[in-house]
Amino acid sequence: MNDRHLSSQFDEDLNSLCSKLLQMGGLVESQIEVAMRGFSETNIDLCNQVIDREKTVNSLEVEIDSSCAELIARRQPTARDLRLVMAISKAITNLERAGDEAERVAKRSKRIIEQSVNYKINAAEIKLSGQMAIDLLRQSLDCFARLDAVGAAKVVEDDKQIDEEFRGFVRKLITYMAEDPKMISTGLDLLFIAKAIERVGDHAKNIAEFVIYIVKGSDVRHVPHDDLVREATK
Amino acid sequence: MTTTMKSMFHSDINQSSAGEGHIAHSTDTTAVNALEIKNLNFFYGSFQGLKNINLNILERRVTAFIGPSGCGKSTLLRTLNRMYDLYPGQRAEGEINFYGENILEKGKDVNLLRSRIGMVFQKPTPFPMSIYENIAFGVRLYERLSKAEMDERVEWALNKAALWTEAKDKLNQSGLSLSGGQQQRLCIARGVAVKPSILLLDEPTSALDPISTAKIEELINELKKDYTIAIVTHNMQQAARVSDFTAYMYLGELIEYGKTDQIFIKPAKKETEDYITGRFG
Amino acid sequence: MSTRDPSLFAKRKRANAIGLTFSITAMLIGMAFLLWILAILLWNGFSAISPSLFFASTPAPGTDGGGLANAIVGSLMMVFFCAFFSTPIGILAGIYLSEYGENNKFSEVTRFVTDIMLSAPSIVIGLFVYAIIVYNVKHFSGWAGTVALSLIAIPVVVRTTENMLKLVPTTLREAAFALGAPKWKVSMSVVLRAAKSGVITGVLLAIARVSGETAPLLFTALNNQFFSTNMNAPMANLPVVIFQFAMSPYDNWVSLAWGGALLITFTVLGLNILARVLLREKVSV
Repeated sequence: MNDRHLSSQFDEDLNSLCSKLLQMGGLVESQIEVAMRGFSETNIDLCNQVIDREKTVNSLEVEIDSSCAELIARRQPTARDLRLVMAISKAITNLERAGDEAERVAKRSKRIIEQSVNYKINAAEIKLSGQMAIDLLRQSLDCFARLDAVGAAKVVEDDKQIDEEFRGFVRKLITYMAEDPKMISTGLDLLFIAKAIERVGDHAKNIAEFVIYIVKGSDVRHVPHDDLVREATK
Repeated sequence: MTTTMKSMFHSDINQSSAGEGHIAHSTDTTAVNALEIKNLNFFYGSFQGLKNINLNILERRVTAFIGPSGCGKSTLLRTLNRMYDLYPGQRAEGEINFYGENILEKGKDVNLLRSRIGMVFQKPTPFPMSIYENIAFGVRLYERLSKAEMDERVEWALNKAALWTEAKDKLNQSGLSLSGGQQQRLCIARGVAVKPSILLLDEPTSALDPISTAKIEELINELKKDYTIAIVTHNMQQAARVSDFTAYMYLGELIEYGKTDQIFIKPAKKETEDYITGRFG
Repeated sequence: MSTRDPSLFAKRKRANAIGLTFSITAMLIGMAFLLWILAILLWNGFSAISPSLFFASTPAPGTDGGGLANAIVGSLMMVFFCAFFSTPIGILAGIYLSEYGENNKFSEVTRFVTDIMLSAPSIVIGLFVYAIIVYNVKHFSGWAGTVALSLIAIPVVVRTTENMLKLVPTTLREAAFALGAPKWKVSMSVVLRAAKSGVITGVLLAIARVSGETAPLLFTALNNQFFSTNMNAPMANLPVVIFQFAMSPYDNWVSLAWGGALLITFTVLGLNILARVLLREKVSV
């Protein structure tokens, strides 16, 4: 993505691989956005749209993985190129799962809408954390495009907020459900939606960790935060 | 994530790099240095072919030298067995310690040295003699063996080179009657027969087809249990497959030296990365 | 799309045809003369081929019959001893020039002198040996003849040995050095062996050359009418006998001269062919 190989075909192959990843990323982003809108606007059509488009996300994963294998077979990439291809192969798994989460949100929202329950639970946290998750995913893909390790470290940091929000919302839900057992069914649906959003945040964090791996060569998954920041900024 | 994938990601934080007079160390401290190269400078007349090389070669490991043409890797290899002595006008300065003794010192018996540091060349060069004689030639230089002992040694050497089964029925035929890959293995057998400590391989498979190449790489893997091997290759994938340590050279300088896995996954220097990823130019 | 000019092609074809015609004609002319020589030799000398040619000695003037036994034996002996001395000297000198004396002054001078000797007039060589040996011991001898022939043969052997050794690739030498072989062993056991057929060819060519030399023998071995194997006395030899008999008035002498010429020619031809055949065998152990 930076300086060029002697083989221009190799450059083209790598660039096309990266573009496809970003394309898939954009698609997943919009899936989550649309699912969140379907939830907040109780719009069943939007939910159905998300469920239908899930197939495209899956087929993109398969396509990109196949391109990765071809590139490895043909080019035997090393060093930075190798790390890039390995990272892409793993990042698309995270993206595909994030897409699954979006579908989950859509399905749960659809259930809530169909049951026409007028829930009295304030789901502002969900909307908020939903927006945070979307932003986080966008940022991680942005850092990927720019190969920005410092930005990626920030993404990892910011994911903690989503986790916090989730924990807070769970506590609130427990209170509601304890007060009014009739709310339990809706409460659980909301819980699963909140969980799905929290997972989207985690996937964004994973993608950011891969960015650090590509740029710095250090595998920072499961590494204490201070070490991660050190690796990203050195 | 499976464990194999995890190990592919594992990077060696403890990296090595060389240049500007630092001595390059490997992180494996259990093995001994077979060769210690200190401040080596080499001159073809007035042209400096090697600039201040500092490098340790571990015993019973394979060390590969890579780099573009003219970087000095073959030159470096040929200083290790003082092959350059054959040509007036070529001289080396510095120290090369072979298990403690400096082989660049004046007055060293160069021929004896070469029997302990063997070399195999790019083009297979069987002597114009029978296969048996090809191998016995080197052995006879420094050892006195009975016919039975010599037979045994020849068989042992040919076995080590994975050539015994193919050659045992034609030991009296000329070495030139073998195919290219077999000839190269004969040269390796010849080199191994004198039981050197170190084997220097100068692009041993560049003139061979892929199958012969693979056989010889397999051979190197076997040989490294008993011999220290230094190999010069312009095929990076070969260096990656075959070696434990890799040194990248450019224009007579040692740019980077370290464990092969690390060099090929996370090289410390941008020049190294540019070369191995094909961004060179 | 093609910018080919047909007239250029036609011009080249014409030039090719003309060149080819000239070279074939030249070759045919050369071959014609060679075949003519052989034909004349056979025509005139064939009648002299008989057992007596090989067993009877040269006849006295006026006597009938006779053969060339003494001349044949004399030539064989002198050529043999010449080869005996020139081969080792020439080969060792060639080894020195090729393997040891790459660039020193001494080698340059040696090469220069060798080249001069290669093209020195053989009569001068004959006179030289006459002056240093024959004049001092006050008689002609087979040994003097041998020395003269050797002085002609040695430069040939030196040059061909050096050239053949130089053709051996450096990588072969390096491979031998890499095993720890000392220089003399590399030169003798590996390089010389690799150039074996070429070196032998050189020796054969030298022998072929001296077999027919007349002028040097005139002043050194002279001739001997009788059968003798005494190298310390004048010795009969084919070239001088031919010289003597060819323009004589005696028929049997003339016939014998033709026979001798035939013998020499075919021997030299045979040696040259043998040399070529040997050189063709690249893979020699």
